Amino acid sequence: MTLFHFFNCAILTFGPHAVYYSATPLSEYDTLGTSIKAAVVYLITALVKLVCLATFLNVSETDSFDPYQELLKALIGFIDVAGLYFALTQLTHRNISQCHKFQAVGLGWAFADSVLHRLAPLWVGARGLEFTWDYIFQGLEANANLVLSLSLAALGSLMWLRKNKPKTLIPIIYACAGIVATMPSITSYLRQGLGWHLPKIVGFELFTSLGMAFISWQLFAACQRPSN
Amino acid sequence: MGNLQKSEPSLGFVIPVYSSVITLLIIVMTCVELCDAVTVVDVYRLVQYDVGGMPFGSRLAALNHHAGSAVLSSGAADLSRTVLILPVRELNLTFIRESIGWRKPLGGLLLLLPLDFSPQDTENIGEADHSSAKQLVKEVLVELEQLLIHANIPYPVYFGFEDDDVNSVLADVKRNDATGQLATATTGGYKLVVAAPEPKKIASPTISNTQGWLPGLKADGGSNQLPTIAIVASYDTFGAAPALSVGSDSSGSGVVAVLEIARLFSILYSNPKTRGRYNLLFGMTSGGPYNYNGTQKWLHSLDQRFRETIDYAVCLNSIGSSSNELWMHVSKPPENAYIKQIFEGFSNVAEELGLKVGLKHKKINISNPRVAWEHEQFSRLRVTALTVSELSVAPELLESTGGLSDKRQFVDEASISRSVKLVAESLARHIYGLEGKTIDIFADNSSLAVNPSYIRSWLDLLSATPRVAPFLSKNDPLIMALKKELTDHTVEVNVQQEVLDGIFTFYDSTSSRLHIYQVASVTFDLLLLLGLGSYLIVLFSFLVITTRGLDDLISLFRRPPSRKMKTA
Repeated sequence: MTLFHFFNCAILTFGPHAVYYSATPLSEYDTLGTSIKAAVVYLITALVKLVCLATFLNVSETDSFDPYQELLKALIGFIDVAGLYFALTQLTHRNISQCHKFQAVGLGWAFADSVLHRLAPLWVGARGLEFTWDYIFQGLEANANLVLSLSLAALGSLMWLRKNKPKTLIPIIYACAGIVATMPSITSYLRQGLGWHLPKIVGFELFTSLGMAFISWQLFAACQRPSN
Repeated sequence: MGNLQKSEPSLGFVIPVYSSVITLLIIVMTCVELCDAVTVVDVYRLVQYDVGGMPFGSRLAALNHHAGSAVLSSGAADLSRTVLILPVRELNLTFIRESIGWRKPLGGLLLLLPLDFSPQDTENIGEADHSSAKQLVKEVLVELEQLLIHANIPYPVYFGFEDDDVNSVLADVKRNDATGQLATATTGGYKLVVAAPEPKKIASPTISNTQGWLPGLKADGGSNQLPTIAIVASYDTFGAAPALSVGSDSSGSGVVAVLEIARLFSILYSNPKTRGRYNLLFGMTSGGPYNYNGTQKWLHSLDQRFRETIDYAVCLNSIGSSSNELWMHVSKPPENAYIKQIFEGFSNVAEELGLKVGLKHKKINISNPRVAWEHEQFSRLRVTALTVSELSVAPELLESTGGLSDKRQFVDEASISRSVKLVAESLARHIYGLEGKTIDIFADNSSLAVNPSYIRSWLDLLSATPRVAPFLSKNDPLIMALKKELTDHTVEVNVQQEVLDGIFTFYDSTSSRLHIYQVASVTFDLLLLLGLGSYLIVLFSFLVITTRGLDDLISLFRRPPSRKMKTA
């Protein structure tokens, strides 16, 4: 029953995106166009990152954690942030409130990330006779990634779209944005430097994503109070 | 307006980007090999053959069933969709005898041989290994082999080796079976898959006989009038697993002995002063297990007048075991003067070497197609012949033909050297007329000494080459190597290709790769689906409640009744 397993893992990986879209008011305001545009921006960002990685990074034979290489990877990871900035600010959207804009952009971003990184391994691997837990963990990782993308989009919209922010919260916003942006480097350090196994890493990702989501939700709500 | 114009170019390049991504994904999908099994091992199939239309051996090659272990064999469970993995070391032969005898349905059988029987095992030791555990395994294998090749088995039977991966899988399977549950689609477990096509008949299998000729010293006439002595051995094997039948002793030792004797006599015959007044004919025949079919065809192909010049022929069968006793098998009665003379010559040399040679007589029955010894094919054409072998009793059809248990570690190369010296010395004394004199022609530490490293290297080569005749092509590297070696030592070499007699038919597909998958049960998939479904529903409700409020969630379920109320 291997196609069954593929189906299970697929709904675990892509289901939450569809559920999020239909459950929240996003579907009522028809923000699908925004999400698709955000997905395209993600694709372009991924290509640019690939080119930079290929040019500047040298492949190490061993699986060890090289601080210099990881620093370089983190810097290239900031291209992600630049892409998100572009998606949030430069793409002209119909008049949707900021609240919904960042959700749509975050959703499109996370969906494109899941499709690009997880669809091919899922199709090739989960259909085989052999059973592994890897694809279920990959699905959980996709869920965590969705939450992280939404938080990053929220913080990004706070940073670049909201003009009047309480002064005390600005450094916290930037700090949280920094943490969320460097999350990939942190997970790769845990995987290679500390040698954590997949279940632990996925658990860590879920936990931190929920934490960061909560924090960014609080920040967003706090920033919204003065304008009310 | 401005917004619309700006959004069009962005849509314009969406489609090519998407299509290129999709084509990339398709390319990735087709290139990646779905080899995600826990283990992939080489396995070797039980031989499948017909004798006069009667089927024998395993009749199927493809395998796709769940794995079970010996624990299940004692129960009364239905094993028709299970493959039993049985290590030969702990094999219960009565179970195999019963399942074959009573035709119990079985999905398949995987028999695991100990690692030191593997052809890749290069820890070859000089002397034969006599540890009792190995001897026990050897005896079990001999009995198992005879049981399997004379039975008609309707399911696939494969032989594998006990390497680490397979051992861990077997331990897992045993643990699962101890709970009493059979591994099926609903309970999960291990699945063994061999993707092999339907076995096909091998059309006209060829047997190749190689002969080398050393002419003797011509007197006044031509060398054709000189008498000839033939030294023959059969080089092919037959066993339960044709891809593993290397036959180190049965026929491997004989071939090595013929090559060494050819080498020694070629040194003697290269110098006209030491050339004897006998021609020497060295023969490597095929078709040994099948009533020495190749020898018969080879002899028929020789000119009749030439056959009449053959004084006598010495056939070498298994001479590799480390006992000090050899037997000479003859079909002419022992009272015959010529046989007496030859036997006396052999006994004298044997005494000097510390060996014991006995004489055994077996009458040949022309009407019986069974040919137990190679010399009987010569005797049927009225050529005096004898077989030198360590076996005292004539083997039955397809018995002692170099099967699973006949491996390099059970062969003693010192015994082969001694037997070579025995035969060579006896022949040389007869050729040069030195019978009865105590002279050591092939003395140790002389230039004519028997070369143990030559024997060892050829024995190692033969012990790594399976040699079942129907599976050897016309230009098989082994046949070419034997031909080249004889060309080095003899003057004239001929290779004769014949077709194996029609009563034996063989089927191909002798070795494959076995994939072992660990599969999850259907219940697991259903539970996972249930869990995911509830997770998504919970997520949906949570998001609706937090973003739109609880009323909206309730209104989702109450919409149809409210519409009815409105229209009413």
